Amino acid sequence: MSQAATTAGAAPAASVATSEQYNYAIIKRFAVAAVLWGVFGMAAGVWIASQLAFPFLNFDIAQITFGRFRPVHTTAVIFGFGGNALFATSYYVVQRTCQARLWSDSMASFTFYGWNLALILGVITYMMGITQGREYAEFNWQIDLIILVVWVAYFMVYLMTLLRRNQPHIYVANWFFMAFILATALLHIFNNLEVPVGLFHPHSYPLFSGVQDAMRQWWYGHNAVGFFLTAAFLGMMYYFVPKQAGRPIYSYKLSIIHFWALVFLYMWVGAHHLHWTALPDWVSTLAATFSILLLLPSWGGMINGIMTLSGAWDKLRTDPIMLFLITALAFYGMSTFEGPMMSLKSVNALSHYTDWTVGHVHSGALGWVAMISFGSLYHLIPRLWNVNLYSVKLVYAHFFLATIGIVLYITAMWVAGIGQGLMLRAFDQYGNLAYTFSETVAFLHMPYVVRAVGGGFFLIGMLIMAFNIAMTIRSGIKAEAREAQAESAAPRTA
Amino acid sequence: MKHESVETNAGLLIILTLAVISVGGLVEIVPLFYIDDTIEEVDGVRPYTPLEQRGRDIYVQEGCYACHSQMVRPFRDEMLRYGHYSLAAESKYDHPFQWGSKRTGPDLARVGGKYSNEWHVQHLIHPQSLLPQSIMPAYPWLATNALNYSDIERRMIALRRVGVPYSLTEEEYQENVERFGEEHARMFHIPDAQDMLMEQAQAENFDGDPSFISEMDAMVAYLQVLGTMVDFSEYDYGHFAEFR
Amino acid sequence: MAELWVWITDLGNSKMLALILFMSTFIGIVIYLFAKPSRAKKFETYRYIPLDEDDSHREPTARRDQTESEKQ
Repeated sequence: MSQAATTAGAAPAASVATSEQYNYAIIKRFAVAAVLWGVFGMAAGVWIASQLAFPFLNFDIAQITFGRFRPVHTTAVIFGFGGNALFATSYYVVQRTCQARLWSDSMASFTFYGWNLALILGVITYMMGITQGREYAEFNWQIDLIILVVWVAYFMVYLMTLLRRNQPHIYVANWFFMAFILATALLHIFNNLEVPVGLFHPHSYPLFSGVQDAMRQWWYGHNAVGFFLTAAFLGMMYYFVPKQAGRPIYSYKLSIIHFWALVFLYMWVGAHHLHWTALPDWVSTLAATFSILLLLPSWGGMINGIMTLSGAWDKLRTDPIMLFLITALAFYGMSTFEGPMMSLKSVNALSHYTDWTVGHVHSGALGWVAMISFGSLYHLIPRLWNVNLYSVKLVYAHFFLATIGIVLYITAMWVAGIGQGLMLRAFDQYGNLAYTFSETVAFLHMPYVVRAVGGGFFLIGMLIMAFNIAMTIRSGIKAEAREAQAESAAPRTA
Repeated sequence: MKHESVETNAGLLIILTLAVISVGGLVEIVPLFYIDDTIEEVDGVRPYTPLEQRGRDIYVQEGCYACHSQMVRPFRDEMLRYGHYSLAAESKYDHPFQWGSKRTGPDLARVGGKYSNEWHVQHLIHPQSLLPQSIMPAYPWLATNALNYSDIERRMIALRRVGVPYSLTEEEYQENVERFGEEHARMFHIPDAQDMLMEQAQAENFDGDPSFISEMDAMVAYLQVLGTMVDFSEYDYGHFAEFR
Repeated sequence: MAELWVWITDLGNSKMLALILFMSTFIGIVIYLFAKPSRAKKFETYRYIPLDEDDSHREPTARRDQTESEKQ
């Protein structure tokens, strides 16, 4: 509080200049939305995890059964928390690194309302049982159209801002954001080609069936991971890690090499979700080969991020935001090693359809995506409201709760996945199956309880963050009000 | 300020990125639409009847794919547990595909005919009464909700547009008779869809109450047809391996 | 065209094609980056773009110092 008071004096000149130069209002809205969706989405996640451990929690209520509520969780965390965080940081990064104001305030504002409207409609319709039945693309066709319009607006705002830049070079973070915007548009359009039952009918049937539909969906599904959850967050990383460290990125040449390699390779690997299925072997083998190659650019990015801190490792001892960012990169390295390993057909034979996959996704989603977003938001929000963070201690608390949560989660899922995989393929001495499916389900109970507890830790961390952010914003608004008062008082005394 | 080069750079970035991200998708996806042996030729695979299709819609609506796959892989344990591995042809009328990605519950690709209708009804209403260790949610509302089939013709017309051979004209109907036999072809005739749906629900009486067509009727009709269309005893052992 | 699809679905062919595509792109980028020393040097100056922001002195902690200096 005392810090906020001391800042009050100098603020008018500074804040007026900043708000004229950059559009911060839109970033503030996206940042707050990201935190709110984070709380909701992670709570939904803990809820469905608890349903798997204790099925009575479905309460025989259609709207909240696991099947209908899982897309609520995935949509809220991926597109709500992740999406809003990406809008906020990409709008921030593009303005700062281009030293130009965001193009068209009204278009930017439209992306905010359009995107969040689509998500809210999505949550409501899933609970009503309106879904396309395509993982991570469950939105029905009308909502798909809203998203398409929003995405075109996003592309326009981003491109026009790039064209207005006062800096001759386009900084590499913007390359990643641009690739993310382009690829997401391509994925969204192609994966949602469908024929509606009627103009006002919520239902539609996809254009393709069976094997082609499966290939299309997992081409989408894995590139949603590759471009939405990886490339875009690497864009975030390339700005916020150097910024928070106060040092330039380790190697710019490495960033260029790994950008093109990553963008090229990701599009090939989706079929590793369909190993041993009715998809022709040549496709899935090709996908596995590229999955292995993908390790190189992934680790290129990780090394580039972590080595940025080389020579300043002591920052990890004093700066919890840096802890978030570097831990995120460590988890990124870990899950991009685990991924190619799981894409090997022999490993996949065991791991596929089990909780190992779920654990792998969450080591990426919680460890990489959420951690890098937390770090970036903690960096971003005090700057937007021009105050200091309410409490650094709470950031530490958040960091440790989140890390413990992830470790519990991943470990439980390794046990569940590998354990169940081994049980399902076990034979007794006469060559019969050693376990029924029900027996493996009974085995999963303990890991599922631990997973829910791990998720609970992560959620508590998120709640602490929401509180910390709310208090920070409150002091920012108060300081601003005082400044406005001081300003209006000043002319009279003069 | 070299304004021209600035613009070309942003444009160039976009064009190069688009080019680079398109390669992988094109090489892997496009051939699937052109190669004949992507989908095997097998007898017996047919479109879903109106009632089965509505059951399938409910399967999608309830998010069953979040926990159940419909894809048996060519492994010994899966063969013993579920049956013959799944063929691409078996899901060629599946809009959308429901192969799934996670088996929190068992695979359902060949669940049809394994259990009685009564078992399915009881299991869907209260899974733990049959399998105490089950973690499946209960779906009691399926039995009490009346099945909405007022839009069944429109649904079938949409499916027809995406390639399912439901018939609208007499000519198309005759083609279906040749392809799938009269008993099935009747079911695929869009103008008669509502009558056919009621007829099947009443004749096979899935939920034990012939006077009331519930969502349960449709759901069980769908579950009971899964994996039953191809008669694998007609084919030599290893016949399908050449398509893999 | 149909022949091309058949050719590509042979894993020996598609693997080779993919590898050639990937390697040539990759080598092209590396040559582009490292061939001309002046270009390589130029690229490394871009690292400083995020740190060169015109209003970075207005970060919260820095601003507090500014306030104090203004008071003096």
